[in-house]
Amino acid sequence: MDLALTLVGLSHRTAPLEVRERYVVSPADLTACLAAITGIPGVQEAFVLSTCNRTEVLVVGEPGTDVAPALRAHLFRNLEDEVYVWSGVQALIHVFRVASGLDSMVVGESEVLGQMRRGFEAAQQARTLGRTLRPLLQQALHVGKRVRTETDVGQGTLSVARVAVDVAARVFGRFEGCRALIVGAGETGLLVARHLVDRGLVNPTFASRTQERAREAAAEFGGRAFGLEDLATLAGEADVVIACIDGTGVQLGPDTFDARALRTRDRPVLAIDLSVPRAIDRAIVKKKNVLLYDLDDLQQVVQENRVGRGAAIEGSTEILVAELHKFLALRAYASFSPVIAAMRERFERVRDDVLDSVAGASTDKRDIELAHELSRKLLDVALDHMKEGARTTSSEEALDHEYRRFLERLGAEDPP
Amino acid sequence: MRTAIQALTVLLPSAYLLAAILHGMAFGGDRAPQVDRPRRIVLSVTLLLHLVCFLLRALVLGHFPVSDVWSTLSAVAMCAAGLFLVVARRSSGERGVAYAGTGGVVLGLVSVLQLIASAFGPTQLVARAGGMGTYQVLHVATSVLAAAALILSGVHGILYLLLYRQMRARRFGVLFAHLPDLDVLARMTRSSALSGFLFLTVGVNVGIAMAHAEKSEGFRYAQPEVLLSIVLWIHFGVIAFSRHIRGFSARRASFAAAGGLVALLLSLMLILFPGISFHSRL
Repeated sequence: MDLALTLVGLSHRTAPLEVRERYVVSPADLTACLAAITGIPGVQEAFVLSTCNRTEVLVVGEPGTDVAPALRAHLFRNLEDEVYVWSGVQALIHVFRVASGLDSMVVGESEVLGQMRRGFEAAQQARTLGRTLRPLLQQALHVGKRVRTETDVGQGTLSVARVAVDVAARVFGRFEGCRALIVGAGETGLLVARHLVDRGLVNPTFASRTQERAREAAAEFGGRAFGLEDLATLAGEADVVIACIDGTGVQLGPDTFDARALRTRDRPVLAIDLSVPRAIDRAIVKKKNVLLYDLDDLQQVVQENRVGRGAAIEGSTEILVAELHKFLALRAYASFSPVIAAMRERFERVRDDVLDSVAGASTDKRDIELAHELSRKLLDVALDHMKEGARTTSSEEALDHEYRRFLERLGAEDPP
Repeated sequence: MRTAIQALTVLLPSAYLLAAILHGMAFGGDRAPQVDRPRRIVLSVTLLLHLVCFLLRALVLGHFPVSDVWSTLSAVAMCAAGLFLVVARRSSGERGVAYAGTGGVVLGLVSVLQLIASAFGPTQLVARAGGMGTYQVLHVATSVLAAAALILSGVHGILYLLLYRQMRARRFGVLFAHLPDLDVLARMTRSSALSGFLFLTVGVNVGIAMAHAEKSEGFRYAQPEVLLSIVLWIHFGVIAFSRHIRGFSARRASFAAAGGLVALLLSLMLILFPGISFHSRL
């Protein structure tokens, strides 16, 4: 199970939102970040996953080199308890769990799979993936899909957007006569709009950095589209404001809401900030008749959901262990490839030598074919033994034990 | 028949309490036993038994069976439970489940009212001399219905305030998970207040007209029970139409309804308890 993997990161489990938002790597900065990481001595391959709930770096280091301190110093300077480090098989387990949505704030949510895929593509373009990380991430994406389709973990199409709309429904019920403003027309913004419209909301308003995207979203959901310059006016008119705009910083402050207008409203104003870094100033909660929630608040809401999914999480363990075993076996087998190539070459040379030595006696085409067939079969027997050896390099029992140890170390609430 | 009435009088507080517990179990969430059907059945059967008790009392007394403090409390309890059942049935599906949490509170209060009525009510039924006239029945019946509706309004108002406070404080506990949403609670507060206001309009006006017509001994507008009833009538009227009053938010309406509930209970005490009010001399 020798795997030169190191994963360093922070997530909703270890760091509050005000810390997480400082360490977000925006898509625009991803290539530079990957280049900087691969510039660290000893780092051979690198992958970065940065979502609203986690920023993680997965690297392959030179054998015998501990790159974790350098990664910590480079990416998470001044942080102590918020940062976790996984290495070897445990890093692999963590990646598979993240892809499966088991480590997500909303267990089973599928957004992380898309974010992982985009991170994979970015690393491909930056040429920071190699023989270890490329198949590892491909396998992780496959595991993520498998867990969601073969267990109940992904049932109910959960997402942060869905949780946000559930919270909004605790205020506005069926959203009759409710005026909703969605800030950001990206993936999460559209998902929020979809859930709101499914619950009965009509005519949502979109405000986005790029008006074109806002217009497209408005056309899809029968709403109105604006740019961010109109945000203050729009927010003042809305009953519910859901911000899902990343990388812009604070867009809505206490001055956005007129205290007098707030007092005369029948229903409270609900503001939900799904942005990282946050787009709504926390100070607005001091105003009367305003309810404000951010991602950390929503985390409390989903605890209930997590308890109800215990059985499904337990069911996914089997899949994860089987896939870990498969990956390690393939990796071990792949490590034999230079030996296999040498063996093949040697077999062919011996066969040709033998054929050359008997060529004078017999040049029958059928004998030559038989000699080829024999050498192939002998090689297959040897390869089968090597495959078996690779398969038993890490037994499923040992991996299952390793997985339990991982959960113990994580202190996870997942069932043992 | 009297034995049946006595048996039902003893049974009703426990039956309401059982219904309240079954509804309150909704706060246990997924971990609590699923009792959707039993809770509906228990409440329906309890209400049926209460109605039977009510009709039997009418047969024995020979007049409308709300003629003293205890029978009034019992009638208010029955009407509040009945109104709750109607609302819960109308809010079927997901909201119906959410309503179970509300039921725990409403029926808890109902069981307390019924317990007081059963524990302190007279064991022997004594018919009222001269029975009750049509206007008197109308006055009593509408007042009882008004009290029940206003109790519902007050309870929904209190629940709105509790849920609002929890949400402001970002506490997503059992109240957040198992109460109806703020919009429904606000609507229920106002619609119950409107029902109460309409019944009270009839009740108060018929009562005043009767007092004038019969020249009731001790009746004065300045009397606390009369004043309080009129204040309550105006108070719940304002709550009922508060949606159309600028600045009167759902939270304020809920606060007013919660305050109105306290005033209502005080008013009931003033009206019903012997020696305090002119009603006791009627």
